[in-house]
Amino acid sequence: MVMTSSGRGPKPIAEGPAFLARADLQVLLDLLREDGRTLIGPTLDAGAIVYDEIASVEDLPRGWGDEQGPGRYRVRRRSDERLFGYVVGPTSWKKWTFPSLIPLTKGTRDGHRVSFEPAPIDAPKLAFLGVRACELAALGVQDRVLAGGPFTDPDFVARRAGIIVVAVQCTTSAPTCFCTSMGTGPEVTSGYDLSLTELDDGFLVAAGSRVGRDLLERLPLRPASATEQYGAAAVVANVRARIGDPVTADGLHDRLLAQLDHPRWAQVAERCITCGNCTLVCPTCFCTTVSQSTDLTGDHALSERIWDSCFSPGFAKVAGGSFRSRPRDRYRQWLTHKFATWLDQFGTFGCTGCGRCITWCPVGIDVREELNAIAPAVSLAPEAAIVEPVAAAPNDFVAARVLATRPETPGTVTLSLTGTDPAFARGSTGQFAMVALPGFPPLPISISRFLPDGIELTIRGAGPATKALAGLQIGDQVGLRGPLGNNWPLDRAVGRDLVIVTGGIGLAPLRPVIHAIIADRRRYGDVKLFYGARTPVDLHYRDELERWSKQDGIDVSLTVDRAGPEWHGRVGVVTQLFDQAVWDASNMIAFVCGPERMMQATATTLAGRGVPASRIYVTLERHMECGIGLCGHCQMGKYFVCRDGPVFSIAQLGDNFGREGI
Amino acid sequence: MTHAPVAARPRVGVVKFASCDGCQLTLLNLEDELLSIVEHFEIVDFPEASSSRSAGPYDVLFVEGSVSEPAHVERIVELRRRARFLVTIGACATAGGIQALRNWGDHDAFRASVYAHPEFIHSLAKSTPIAEHVPVDAELRGCPIDPGQLVELLTALTTGRRPQLRDESVCMECKRRGVVCVMVSKGIPCLGQVTQTGCGAICPRYGRGCYGCFGPREQANAAGLARHLQAAGDRPQEEVGRLFAGFTAYSEPFRSMVTDLGGTRTGRRETVDGGPLGDNDARH
Repeated sequence: MVMTSSGRGPKPIAEGPAFLARADLQVLLDLLREDGRTLIGPTLDAGAIVYDEIASVEDLPRGWGDEQGPGRYRVRRRSDERLFGYVVGPTSWKKWTFPSLIPLTKGTRDGHRVSFEPAPIDAPKLAFLGVRACELAALGVQDRVLAGGPFTDPDFVARRAGIIVVAVQCTTSAPTCFCTSMGTGPEVTSGYDLSLTELDDGFLVAAGSRVGRDLLERLPLRPASATEQYGAAAVVANVRARIGDPVTADGLHDRLLAQLDHPRWAQVAERCITCGNCTLVCPTCFCTTVSQSTDLTGDHALSERIWDSCFSPGFAKVAGGSFRSRPRDRYRQWLTHKFATWLDQFGTFGCTGCGRCITWCPVGIDVREELNAIAPAVSLAPEAAIVEPVAAAPNDFVAARVLATRPETPGTVTLSLTGTDPAFARGSTGQFAMVALPGFPPLPISISRFLPDGIELTIRGAGPATKALAGLQIGDQVGLRGPLGNNWPLDRAVGRDLVIVTGGIGLAPLRPVIHAIIADRRRYGDVKLFYGARTPVDLHYRDELERWSKQDGIDVSLTVDRAGPEWHGRVGVVTQLFDQAVWDASNMIAFVCGPERMMQATATTLAGRGVPASRIYVTLERHMECGIGLCGHCQMGKYFVCRDGPVFSIAQLGDNFGREGI
Repeated sequence: MTHAPVAARPRVGVVKFASCDGCQLTLLNLEDELLSIVEHFEIVDFPEASSSRSAGPYDVLFVEGSVSEPAHVERIVELRRRARFLVTIGACATAGGIQALRNWGDHDAFRASVYAHPEFIHSLAKSTPIAEHVPVDAELRGCPIDPGQLVELLTALTTGRRPQLRDESVCMECKRRGVVCVMVSKGIPCLGQVTQTGCGAICPRYGRGCYGCFGPREQANAAGLARHLQAAGDRPQEEVGRLFAGFTAYSEPFRSMVTDLGGTRTGRRETVDGGPLGDNDARH
């Protein structure tokens, strides 16, 4: 009997569970296909039940199940004709919501001109068939991470919008499942259009949205019997009982972060191959990197975004080395992110308990075992949720033109750029820009001055990309995206004495601070700049240093590591300059920029002289690619340095400041 | 413009040592790019492709093959002097190649069993990678090298940027391509986790395990994988050692696995002269 809204009046079958015979499931698939949708669903391929494009019920894994354990997966013939008699396999739906490769930008160089053309977003019209509760939760996590923060991923937003989700209640489980612990399943409760519960000869069907109700009304249904309803509920309840509660999620955040020095991290690193499989099978892991390819002329470049993993050695690398050089650092980063700092950032765990990372770890490391060993259960309240409003991501790269170049020191040049994106006019001290030439990886570079119609960037030519930037000539173009990151808290310096401590090119991100102070000098108290360099010629902005000191009321103290014959000033490290300084720490605020060890030493000295940690600010360097907290590379504890920083107070960073491998 | 390519139209040489020439063929097989390549590079020495020769100097010198004969040792030093930018290509040049399996065996016994007049055979007791003899500027791994990586290196040279040769596991490529893990789903031992990417995961794509022809990746936890394969797969020690005894066996940490676990035909305890890794000089 076909029930339609016209046949049933204004209260359609959506109000109560209905039954769809297994032989009629094709009707649903046809409805979705007639709507112009590509169907993605489970199918047997290469010895696993994967998600892929399907055309008909015949493509579903009829009569197939699976056996799973740590590092082990096998498909098994079932004794029945179930279509969904398996547990989640190696594929996750992020393959379609967040593909492993998307084109980003076409960069072109034509003589001095550069241009950047964003790739069009190609979002197909999809229907997902067979989404489990843990996977619905994972889509929800993706929504928060990629579409719920201050910056959104437009590609994800476009792909995710309008996908029809047909969920399936779990009627079977694997020993790797722990959705019950993570609070995501096994019951499908929300986030779907239609849900199916498979019974011996058909499905209990329920709608979870208006789209779902419309579909349901066009299906050949009959009302479900009480036995069928009871049976469906019982089978899911059985799954819950079978899984149990392998991990105590309550208080896990605090328990885990209290164990950053646990010896187990080194032990698990003996087993961990750092291959990255766990992160790429994870339905919520979102880290990416951008790869560049050029043709032989170098004039045409294509940048593509691909999945990346925090387990790869290059993930947290910067010019001087990696912030997480040891495998134990990377395992700790991953586990603490999934089960602790993800909560701070996104108000939800990064884990939905699907168990993929356990099954598909080639050496069978079980996160549940590691969690229970490192952070055994005690009762503590979970952290409050933080969900920030949706905002648009900054535009793609916009070409700016080199107006002037000025050598600062041997190997360092300041570029004055004009024709920058209007957003830079609203930029603030301490912010940075992603700077790109076609074919080269974009680099995060501090803005060293704000101009009426542009900015200045000070660049040290170290690697090929920075050398290419440092070699730009007047009239050349360069791509800019920004301004990005937060700023030095100048408002907190109003009416206070300010100490600025820096060395070498570290003065670049602080130079706009001094410009801002000079522009409104009377609002601030005593301003002292302590500035060090390796040799006298390595001092940046030398003309300005003199002017600041002589005319602008800034107390400038300089020191060098190695003096030349011309140098009559101080020799030694910058912290030694404090020895002679007289100050009132009670009303003081400090801005510090330099290598992390120098900043630590400076912060310790300042704290020792009475400046509170909440008023000592540093700016951090990390591996940055996206600049807006979406690619994952610059994570430090609960922060994305690019988005939440780069400026932090020592109080904010707490014990993580200077900790190895964070 | 402003970039710093290695030269306006770099002079390129392609030379070989102990090898099968397969990596050079990868260059010749770049049919779609060949015309563009010769437009941007001046190929001055490439015996595999042309009879016109040059003794350098080279802006870029591609070196295939391992150092396997006494004469090789002097020749590579001389070639290095004439090359601004030296790129080793393939498992032989970067790791010593399959012929480095003899490094665990008895060189004299091998020669005597293969050749009627072993006294005419001037080979070294060990096959070694080029980098053991001279500094190397870049390396392309694999047996053979990957055409995509070769083009990437060439384009990076013309634009003066760093070539993007990712240092990550083969697994990453499997997962991006949706290849089902052969180790987890079929129990096939696979070195993809400890092997540097670049091949496009070609072996797992065809349902077999990676045999590590691109060599160990940075910080490869070969010992961890070996322990797991022995314990979980219930495999004898030599069988696990043999997995590492392939085209890049002589690269650490694969080398230690072969030495510690065995797995070469002659076995580690049958070698002479201070153990399996005794130096060449002891014999010549």
